[in-house]
Amino acid sequence: MHKDVLQILQKDVELDMTPMIDCVFLLMIFFALVVDISQKNLEDLVLPRATFRQLDDKPAEHRPILNVLQDGSVVHNQIVVYDPKRHGDDFEPVRALLRSLRQAGLSQKKLALEADDGSGRLRDPILIRADKWTEWHFVAAVMQQCNLRDIGFWKVELALSEIDRELPGTGPAGGRK
Amino acid sequence: MNFLETVREPVKFDMTPMIDVVFLMIIFFVCIDFRVLESKLPAFMPKDKGSRTTVVEPQEQLVVRVHPATPGTPVYAPGAGPDRLDPETRRPFRFQLQGHQVRWEVGPRSFEDQQALLAELRRIAEDPESQVPDKATGRTKLIPVVVEAMPGTYYADVAQTMDACHEAGLREINFGGSAGTRR
Repeated sequence: MHKDVLQILQKDVELDMTPMIDCVFLLMIFFALVVDISQKNLEDLVLPRATFRQLDDKPAEHRPILNVLQDGSVVHNQIVVYDPKRHGDDFEPVRALLRSLRQAGLSQKKLALEADDGSGRLRDPILIRADKWTEWHFVAAVMQQCNLRDIGFWKVELALSEIDRELPGTGPAGGRK
Repeated sequence: MNFLETVREPVKFDMTPMIDVVFLMIIFFVCIDFRVLESKLPAFMPKDKGSRTTVVEPQEQLVVRVHPATPGTPVYAPGAGPDRLDPETRRPFRFQLQGHQVRWEVGPRSFEDQQALLAELRRIAEDPESQVPDKATGRTKLIPVVVEAMPGTYYADVAQTMDACHEAGLREINFGGSAGTRR
């Protein structure tokens, strides 16, 4: 008996690293996917800085996001929906997208209607992100499409930033006159 | 005796799991794009447009117009330029607008400085005559503001205007007119 115990203790015990490496790879894949999915909707824009704003730290889970680039292009989920050079004043592609977002959101119960008056207006907001040097008429045009009768996104959130990335070290007073 | 000798053998410290974890953390933080947490300004579109057919009574409101004073010059990074796509992002190259200035009109008065605009908005907000009837509550409320941005103004200008309104205490901000929707 004593001899058996000694033999066991004297054996080289090898640590099997395989499960740990598996876990590491799984974690890497998980985080890579999570990071990608959470930022898929966000174009790389320089947002204007504002003193008075609400932190967007708890956004609604299914809030639609539209990005308006400097040239007026409207991007949703990395797809250019509207290109001013191609579509001109025809915002039908944006309207079609908003209608499909509304329809899909309501049918999947990800969006809800205002309960008070049966007007068809949506209770949930839509986020519009635009570059600080995007001409306002592009943003205004997108907002107008959002508020159309058959679309009903009347609550609009305009994205801002805590800092101005064009002006590193910008103080609380802001960088521009 | 043999048993004790075996137990006293130097124990090798296995660094592998720690190195793995360190690498994992390095990869994780490299993969994360350190984005600044974004903020938002909620804005409500007019309820009387598009979604309703009922007649809405006119409401007293303060109109703040934003006009371009100096258009500004687009400046691109070296190697970039207009009407070209950034090969990395496949989006048009971004420019910075330098020298752009706006002026604001509040009623008959014009302001070229945000501080002057803020002072005027504060004066209006503190004026008892700026209280208007609130049909929802039956009481009075501070006059709502309508921001009208003219062609040639930018998103940053409107954000700056909204910022001044909020700072002055004017919280009900709408966007009016269609003047800003055409070049």
